[in-house]
Amino acid sequence: MSSLGIAFALLGAALAALMAGIGSAIGVGMAGEAAAGAVTEDPNRFGKVLILQLLPGTQGIYGLLIAFITLTQIGILGGDPNISLVKGLLYFAACMPMAFVGLWSAIRQARASVASISMICKRPETFGKSMIFPAMVETYAILALLVSILSIFGVGGLSL
Amino acid sequence: MAVLQMQRISICALKKDRKSILETLQRRGVVEISDLALQDSVFEKADTSAVRSQFEKDLSAVNQALEVLDAYSPVKSSLLSSLEGRGPLTADEYAAFGERADDVLAQALRLNALSKKISENRAEILKLETQLDALVPWLGLDVPLRFTGTRSTAAFIGSFPEDLSLDEVYSRIAGQAPDATVNVDLVSHSQDQTCVFIVAPRAEAAAVDEALRAIGFTRPASPPAESPAERKKLLEAETARANEAIEAARTEIVSRGGDRPDLKLLADYLRLRAEKYDVIGRLMQSRRAFILSGYVTARNARPLSEELSSKFDVAVELTAPGPDEDVPVVLKNNPFSTPVESVVESYSLPGRHEIDPTTIMSFFYYILFGMMLSDAGYGLVMTIACAVVILKYKNMEPGIGKMVKMFFWCGLSTTFWGFMFGSFFGDAVAVISSTFFHSDLALRPIWFEPVSEPIRLLTFSFLIGIIHLFVGLGLKFYQYAREGKYYDAVCDVVFWYLLVGGGIVYLLTMPMITEMLGIPFQLPPIAATVAAWCALAGLVGIILTGGRDSKNPFARLAQGLYSAYNVTGYLSDILSYSRLLALGLATGVIAQVFNKMGSMAGGGIVGAIMFIVVFLIGHTLNIGINLLGAYVHTNRLQFVEFFGKFYEGGGRAFTPFAAHTKYYKFKEEI
Repeated sequence: MSSLGIAFALLGAALAALMAGIGSAIGVGMAGEAAAGAVTEDPNRFGKVLILQLLPGTQGIYGLLIAFITLTQIGILGGDPNISLVKGLLYFAACMPMAFVGLWSAIRQARASVASISMICKRPETFGKSMIFPAMVETYAILALLVSILSIFGVGGLSL
Repeated sequence: MAVLQMQRISICALKKDRKSILETLQRRGVVEISDLALQDSVFEKADTSAVRSQFEKDLSAVNQALEVLDAYSPVKSSLLSSLEGRGPLTADEYAAFGERADDVLAQALRLNALSKKISENRAEILKLETQLDALVPWLGLDVPLRFTGTRSTAAFIGSFPEDLSLDEVYSRIAGQAPDATVNVDLVSHSQDQTCVFIVAPRAEAAAVDEALRAIGFTRPASPPAESPAERKKLLEAETARANEAIEAARTEIVSRGGDRPDLKLLADYLRLRAEKYDVIGRLMQSRRAFILSGYVTARNARPLSEELSSKFDVAVELTAPGPDEDVPVVLKNNPFSTPVESVVESYSLPGRHEIDPTTIMSFFYYILFGMMLSDAGYGLVMTIACAVVILKYKNMEPGIGKMVKMFFWCGLSTTFWGFMFGSFFGDAVAVISSTFFHSDLALRPIWFEPVSEPIRLLTFSFLIGIIHLFVGLGLKFYQYAREGKYYDAVCDVVFWYLLVGGGIVYLLTMPMITEMLGIPFQLPPIAATVAAWCALAGLVGIILTGGRDSKNPFARLAQGLYSAYNVTGYLSDILSYSRLLALGLATGVIAQVFNKMGSMAGGGIVGAIMFIVVFLIGHTLNIGINLLGAYVHTNRLQFVEFFGKFYEGGGRAFTPFAAHTKYYKFKEEI
């Protein structure tokens, strides 16, 4: 049974990277389409719309982060990969906030980014504000990241 | 730290001095002209829109000419050239240029004409090529396509829309006109057409014609008079001529590459004149005199009025703007805080009665940014890169310069926090020493390591957040106090201090909270009682006064309860600072990921090469993505959490009448 622990833990790590990565890929793609359109009209906007396009990309990085910490903690990247089933399930649960919130928030953030890109096309002077709307969505990805990180570190310290 | 004091300036002068006065004002660039809403029988406004639109038309011709030059004789410009700023221009050069302006404009028009010639010839070549393509199947024919026969024979030149062999053509004609004697020559055939040359006796011409029409024979449209081979030569000669014309035009354009500085100067000249005429259109003018009104910063007012009075016969009047006037805003701060002005501007300039938050914000800005990036290596890269740019490009445009300086300070702060938390390109020091030198040397944090004690950093982040929010509230108190609204200050600020502050202290007396946050000290029980009473007093105060704007007592109570509900807003504001921890950890851990990936090939030469490649790519990526994250989220904490407490903005930026040039900058003679 104990071999199942590592399986669940790895599943969690993989899902965090997978789902958050998918979300960011979709999000950056959507925002990229809008950004390309905006740059067609005026190449000088490149710098600004690039920043807006990149905003939904952070979830994928957070997912990678969670996956990596989990991999290190469960000993897949060197160490002792022998953890109990309970611990494996706990790691799995710890990865879930990042996986799900990462997926959804990246897509939703991308929609806000797309709207912001069209906003700075019409009113270039509002760049500072346009950045804030997508950043609001990211808050929840950051909160999920925080919960996942704290849980993974916490589970590591448990003797189960 | 301030919004600069503005004064209203009114200038009344003679019309003969109008040009010189306006040029002086434009060069000084310190006065914002405002429209005078004066209804008067003596003074009226001149309509300058026709002149202005002529300038704008010329300007677009010049811009087009510059584009032509860029397309045919491009100037190499590096990525950093945008940092170099505009070239200098003296007033004399500008004045001398005024006489040459028409010649330069003619040069611009010539460039546009050349570019038009090139595109016309290109279109011509395309047309010739189509004709040549249509001619290719007929090249085997040595008579003109118009050839209709001799005295005794009739010739039919044309094509069938399918691929036919000679026998098939014969049999089809025979099928329609069995008695006709024809001779068919196949000129060429391809998949979708067969070109033929058919000769028949004149007497049978009508019958053959009918037969041919029935089997889908068509004559070529508008056949030329020459034979195909001659025609081809002609077309080729024309193409060559068009190409020569293009080449000649291109050479001329390239030879005119030296006009570029003149054209740029002309563009600026036209911009200046267009702006000047815009101002002329806003003056009140009589037959001999004119009146100009606008805003000027108080410190520029005195020197300007002295300069004008010494040079011209003018009456300059300086007055303090009225309380309800929409006065434009200029910010002025110390060199440390000035770079952050652009962040304030991108939110909104301070509105009427508001203070300039830049100076106070700048400290928090640098601290928060540094905590989010928190890597000494990245910080040093930023600081050094920005310092090099600042030292090398002294003539940078102010906007870019502010940005670079802001990142310089942010980089310093990042370096500081990086050393506090023991992060230098992640754990690069430890990884390199263990992989390549087999030692356990590592960079020890000055304070503590966030990865091993995340809760400690979380607590610290909340503490920073509480300080940030309370400073914001304090600024609101200051703003109220400055206007003498002490009652509002107590209701909207002091009660909140009591409620939130008391609440926080009360929480800290609970063992559960202190254990969770890892706070080492325990407050005495008396603190809990005091804090609870403070919080209660604050709460009651807010409920009673939160709705003080409304007359109805029930509505007032309801609004008071609603504003007390805002305490959840404070909770989420404070929790929002947890992003300091999350983003800080993200930088560090991703850096560790790359270091680990780089060290996977082990020690030795191959390992070292692998490590260097992964290190460079990985850390460049990490700097990029986390710099963006830190920038966006520092702005968010400032805009949403901090400004939300006291700042509304809505001020109008000061846009002086000045030399808004694109390529050259006026050098003031001293």
